Amino acid sequence: MSNQSGSIYGLTIISPIKDEPHLEISHSLAIRMYLQHLHTILKDGEGPFFKVNSTHMARLVVLDDVVYFGMPSCEEHLQSKYLIFESNFDGELDTYLSRLARDAKEEVHNIWQHCIGYPGVENTDAFISYMKRCQVETTFYFADVNDKSVQQTLRALQTQSAVASFIEKNQGMPPNELQNAFVDFSKRLRNAPPPKPGSTKGKELTDKVL
Amino acid sequence: MPNIHGKAYAMNTISPMKPWKTYILRFLFFFWRHYKPLGDGLVGLSFIHFARWVIVPRYAFPRLSEQQPKNDLQYDYLLFFSNFNGTWNQYIDAFSAVLFEGLNLIWRWSEKFPGSRPVTPFKNFIVRGQVETDYYYTAYPHAATNDVKAAHRVQLAFDDFERQSSGMPPAKFAEAYQQFLVKIQSDLGETGEAPVGT
Amino acid sequence: MSKLDVTDIQGFAMRGYNFPFARFLFLNFSDKEKSRECIGRIIEHVTTGERWDHGKPKTTVNVGFTYKGLAALGVPEASLLSFPVEFVQGMKARAAILSDTGKNSPDHWDPIWHEGVHAWLGVFGLTQPDLERRCPELNAILQEGGGATVIGSQDAAALQINGQFTSKEHFGYTDGFGNPEFLGLEKESQPGQGKLTEDGKWTPLATGELLLEYADEAGELPVAPLPHLLACNGTFMVYRKLHQNVATFRRYLSEKSKLYPGGLEKLASKFIGRWRDGTPVELSPNEPSPAIVQDPNRSVNFTFRNDLDGTRCPVGAHVRRTNPRDAFGFDGALVNRRRISRRGMPYGPYTPEDQPGSDDGEHGIVFMALNASIFRQFEFVQQQWIEYGNDARQGNDKDMLIGNHEGHGKFMIQGSADRLNPPFMCGALPNFVELRGGDYFFIPSITALRMIAAHSVDPR
Repeated sequence: MSNQSGSIYGLTIISPIKDEPHLEISHSLAIRMYLQHLHTILKDGEGPFFKVNSTHMARLVVLDDVVYFGMPSCEEHLQSKYLIFESNFDGELDTYLSRLARDAKEEVHNIWQHCIGYPGVENTDAFISYMKRCQVETTFYFADVNDKSVQQTLRALQTQSAVASFIEKNQGMPPNELQNAFVDFSKRLRNAPPPKPGSTKGKELTDKVL
Repeated sequence: MPNIHGKAYAMNTISPMKPWKTYILRFLFFFWRHYKPLGDGLVGLSFIHFARWVIVPRYAFPRLSEQQPKNDLQYDYLLFFSNFNGTWNQYIDAFSAVLFEGLNLIWRWSEKFPGSRPVTPFKNFIVRGQVETDYYYTAYPHAATNDVKAAHRVQLAFDDFERQSSGMPPAKFAEAYQQFLVKIQSDLGETGEAPVGT
Repeated sequence: MSKLDVTDIQGFAMRGYNFPFARFLFLNFSDKEKSRECIGRIIEHVTTGERWDHGKPKTTVNVGFTYKGLAALGVPEASLLSFPVEFVQGMKARAAILSDTGKNSPDHWDPIWHEGVHAWLGVFGLTQPDLERRCPELNAILQEGGGATVIGSQDAAALQINGQFTSKEHFGYTDGFGNPEFLGLEKESQPGQGKLTEDGKWTPLATGELLLEYADEAGELPVAPLPHLLACNGTFMVYRKLHQNVATFRRYLSEKSKLYPGGLEKLASKFIGRWRDGTPVELSPNEPSPAIVQDPNRSVNFTFRNDLDGTRCPVGAHVRRTNPRDAFGFDGALVNRRRISRRGMPYGPYTPEDQPGSDDGEHGIVFMALNASIFRQFEFVQQQWIEYGNDARQGNDKDMLIGNHEGHGKFMIQGSADRLNPPFMCGALPNFVELRGGDYFFIPSITALRMIAAHSVDPR
């Protein structure tokens, strides 16, 4: 199953973009402008994939045309522009697509409304169908870590940072104190709220725990 | 810089292939999936989170309505999507230095591919075929794939140590703690911002 | 490979002179014609790479130019713009890339670096009197007819301890090991200086990693200015004045060593990967070994493949970060294009080890590194291996000794079950070293100097 590596699904969707005459702003330009806006709020922890948080990594690319590499290869052109959606996520495809339609409905609509055949997000089944019509098989898929979910990874990063801090703080402690400190620490680590996607800088991870 | 989110760079490339050559590439990928993971070298380099190659045959660009004009293409297209750590130059330098045979095997079927060595014409080829990313999201932007793997090792060791050391007398605990440190001592690098891309 | 004409290459590029005294003059040019005439007069004094078969000269002279300096000399614009981008921009403009921020930012640099340094004249002397005699002579030649203004200078000298010259620097480490070896550059070969072959032998690096217009390790020619003759046999120098916070370092080492069972000297050796006498920790993890240090066949001859855990030499130690050798696998292929040749010297008076030392005052290292591609070599090492740790799998952790820590950040020393070699964390790292200025210089060949002086550079 070449779309899958371990527990990670590699989704590639290529959606043809509408091309209508007499528009002040073309559909592809509108997509680009909206994506540019989304990019500016990434740093605030806002965007569609923070909500569909089974997403490890995802990108959106407007493909204007194929590329001409020069003679003796032939020059040719696409008759439509395409929106490429590449995502690496946990779980089943249908679940993921439903979550997109439900949890990120506003962003999904703002992007895909410019694409041919888009049925809207209200009818989840129709949306899933539409997306699958645009799906292209991933021919070869590599995932360095392919057996850990986003949530497991965020937790692990938190543990890593917290443990490093613990080691520094308790270096040279006599065994009794060290043990007490450790017991207390692991309780706090267990009870710490899981880190949010995007908030993975060392300090951010451990401020909640220590 | 939408190509980058934290420590990850989203590279997209497209290159044309004569359709008969596509069969060869498909076979190679099939072979690698089942017999010798191309993965080995990629894992050794350890700076790619996820990467994929997608062959889009000339008739396979989705067409969803009769009104949508038909494409009339001679070439199949090889799309490549990478989520990697490090700078653009560092990434390509490393591949050219160390995985050049694998790269050649994948891209020699693309038109006008100059070979992955020497590195400068190879970089020019990539620039020619690189498409800008318009939006890029990563769930753990401050962690390179090395950091992710290290974190999972720490988590595993921590869980084991916590379980095993529960109820130990202090002296024994201290000893077990030292062993725990030795286990995770190379995996404690801090996560954070990436160096400025050049 | 082509035979090198050593009389065309500046001696400073070919090797470290090992003279104990130096003065670096910084020049400004205000008139193109006069400054070219000035260069014309200086050329005959420039020390080349020719061998000193009849004994060492008492002083040596070498010269390099910043981009602004070349422009001030009237080098044609098309040629100027063909120089590599990082050289054109100059080091100050690259501050973000190099993590020259906070305490290291250009705001804290010596004033001279905001004044228009056009050229560097490096004068080395066997004795202080030799230097004092030579410099006024050179000054006179330089300033004759308004050719150049000397806007500042920097003295440097090998540290003297108990009346003896040493190759130590202010933190007490013996420096000067590990310069790479290049094909065709006559030098005594030392195993460990070059690159590793598949069968584990050492062999020199491609000439083009140091000198322009020769093949480099990637089998091509690095970016070089036009025309060919301007670039050929030249190289680039990175000059950085690194102030050393001796008091902070001694205090930190002393405090941390109280908790470190191996003791103070061992802890110091873990910071950089060599004992303070220069013994590589990889070869002798438990004690310094004069026998190894004094044997050129051994002092730099080691690899990390049997120490991938960092138990002997910590994964983030300075020498391991700056020259990972085979630590990344692939027989070191990822490292061969990242080597630099160092020519630095200490400056300022030495404070004996038993004193606390000072953070104030003028003392540190004048760091000078030579490479064919500043971007691919020095800047890469600085950005990716010193101020960052991903390749060493240490996340964002920086080089312990010279990283720009700004009070936080840590260095983890890997250890083992051996009680004297435990895992040990050094946290709350201060800046032991602070950048006080510098720039990128082009070190032209003698031919190129003549072309510049004669205003006969034709970029096509």
